[in-house]
Amino acid sequence: MSGEPLLRAAVPPVEEGSAEDAWTGPAWVPTRALGRTVLLTGLLLVAGVALGRVDLVLLAAPFAIGGALALRRMPRSAPQVTIDADEEHLVEGGSVDGGLTVANPDVIRYDLVVVRTRTSPWLELEKADRPFAVTVPVDGWTGIDLPGDALRWGRHDVGPAAARVAACAGLLACRPVVTPARGVRVYPVTEPFAAVEAMPAAAGLVGNHRSRRPGEGGELAGVRPFAPGDRLRRIDWRVSLRTRDLHVAATLSDRDAEVLLLLDVLGEAGTSGGVKGTASVLDTTVRAAAAIAEHYLKRGDRVSLLEYGAAARRLRPATGRRQYLTVLEWLLDVRADVSDQAPTEHVFGAHHVSSDALVVVLTPLVDPRSADMLASLTQSGRYTVAVDTLPAGAAPPQRSPWTPLATRLWRIERDNVLGRLREHGVPVVTWAGAGSLDLVLRDVARLASAPRGR
Amino acid sequence: MLASITRRLERARTVLSRATLVPLLVRGGIAVSLMLAVLVSWPASVVTSELVVPLLAVAAYPAIAPRGRGVTAAILLVVAGWVVDTTWEDARIALWRVLALATLLYLGHTLAALAAVLPYDAVVSVDVVATWLGRAGAVVLISAVLTVVALGLADELSGSAFVIATLVGLAGAVGATMLLTRLLHRTGN
Repeated sequence: MSGEPLLRAAVPPVEEGSAEDAWTGPAWVPTRALGRTVLLTGLLLVAGVALGRVDLVLLAAPFAIGGALALRRMPRSAPQVTIDADEEHLVEGGSVDGGLTVANPDVIRYDLVVVRTRTSPWLELEKADRPFAVTVPVDGWTGIDLPGDALRWGRHDVGPAAARVAACAGLLACRPVVTPARGVRVYPVTEPFAAVEAMPAAAGLVGNHRSRRPGEGGELAGVRPFAPGDRLRRIDWRVSLRTRDLHVAATLSDRDAEVLLLLDVLGEAGTSGGVKGTASVLDTTVRAAAAIAEHYLKRGDRVSLLEYGAAARRLRPATGRRQYLTVLEWLLDVRADVSDQAPTEHVFGAHHVSSDALVVVLTPLVDPRSADMLASLTQSGRYTVAVDTLPAGAAPPQRSPWTPLATRLWRIERDNVLGRLREHGVPVVTWAGAGSLDLVLRDVARLASAPRGR
Repeated sequence: MLASITRRLERARTVLSRATLVPLLVRGGIAVSLMLAVLVSWPASVVTSELVVPLLAVAAYPAIAPRGRGVTAAILLVVAGWVVDTTWEDARIALWRVLALATLLYLGHTLAALAAVLPYDAVVSVDVVATWLGRAGAVVLISAVLTVVALGLADELSGSAFVIATLVGLAGAVGATMLLTRLLHRTGN
């Protein structure tokens, strides 16, 4: 024992030869055509020699000459395939410029490169479902354009792409070279949305909504006698002259508000037909959320988003154009929650929702948990508006003769739930673009003006 | 059984609906080359009889399955016909027949090599086929010159054709072996 402590490197040692193993050279394999060339050349030559026939040797000549010409230089490296896709802001329905580039770093020409690519079904790229056969010159590249349209919002993939090369007149072929997919972000198209009605509770210090508190603002609240502390420019001279006493115009202060968009992702229903087709629940949810967020963010309000599902993704409240872009990015990752795990109570508890926020719940009201959540939010005194996102013709697939009847029963039950929600004071409105929320916002604002507490 | 037939029919319908022109032309080229080669090589008595139908079917099969062994089988069938015609039927070794056979067999072989790596539904660039046919044309031209020279030489040195064939054959066999060895050496790396 030397007494010295045994030290060992914290970083695991690099195994010998691992670097070489990691770089596996391009795998060029002989094709059946090469086997045929060798077999026929040999057979015809041997037969020519055995039978003493020059003509058989001459029949073998093209095979031998062709093989020798083709194999005089051998390929050494594999092709490089890159996928190009739009980096710019794409909106569904817009055009996408995809492309594939095959580069040849080798010393010989690639006689034939067959490139195949997969694309998301929501990217309609021209001829993307077909393989492309091109040649690539020595030390050069060949590009393949894939123009097309983006049909639906979301993150879509162009790729993975695979290239298989045949060189030396098809006598040698390369094992497929696969390139990983490239993502394209397609933002939802926002339906025009405007809500002219007042926010139920404008809470911030500055903003566009007239609050119910007096203060510096633009909305006239009334005329009252002058009091110490009033600004001179607030004096209403016309009233003062008439009454022979100083009067000032009192205004309501302008405040901003917080809007929480709660997206119910517990289930997906209906068939999405892209931007020009029918809308599924998630389509309506995402497009409506984008439109509502755009509207309120333009007015200077704070908007936050929350997913009602097991993942419970959340976007903090903020304001401005930057938040709008963040909202759009956040919406791209909205997926239907297929797990059976229930959304936990502590995530969706009313204490997480600001008491002054307007909560807009986008829900198909298919899952009973959604109705419970809405009722509990309203019970806790939050200003809640439910937007029904279920498509009009949504129905389960026909499995038995009883399916239509069962669907009808389910519809009646759902109408019952909607009625009970309305009784509890939750306005439910079907999404219809511009002005969808005006009617219900008026009701909520009226409720908000009433004394609170129970 | 019925299900498998239906599946095959369905697949054939998909193939036909998706197929593009250039791969179809390439496959047509294989069939035409090998069928013409059969007609040139086999004795006239066979070509004019009903026996020609199965022969043509074997020659046309590589157009449907260019990746399989059908191409080798079709080429060997042509060579067999040639040997039968010139040995048993005792036909004269005409220059045009040797030239035509060498050209047609090589065309069938190289087009099959192209069709084997070219999917039937591919969008094909014109360069691919032009380069391929250009190279095949060069090979055919070189071997045609060789054929003309060699057959002329054989006629002049009539009687010693056996020696010439032996020498050329041995050189070719050595060349082919070297080719194979070199290839195995490269791919083994």
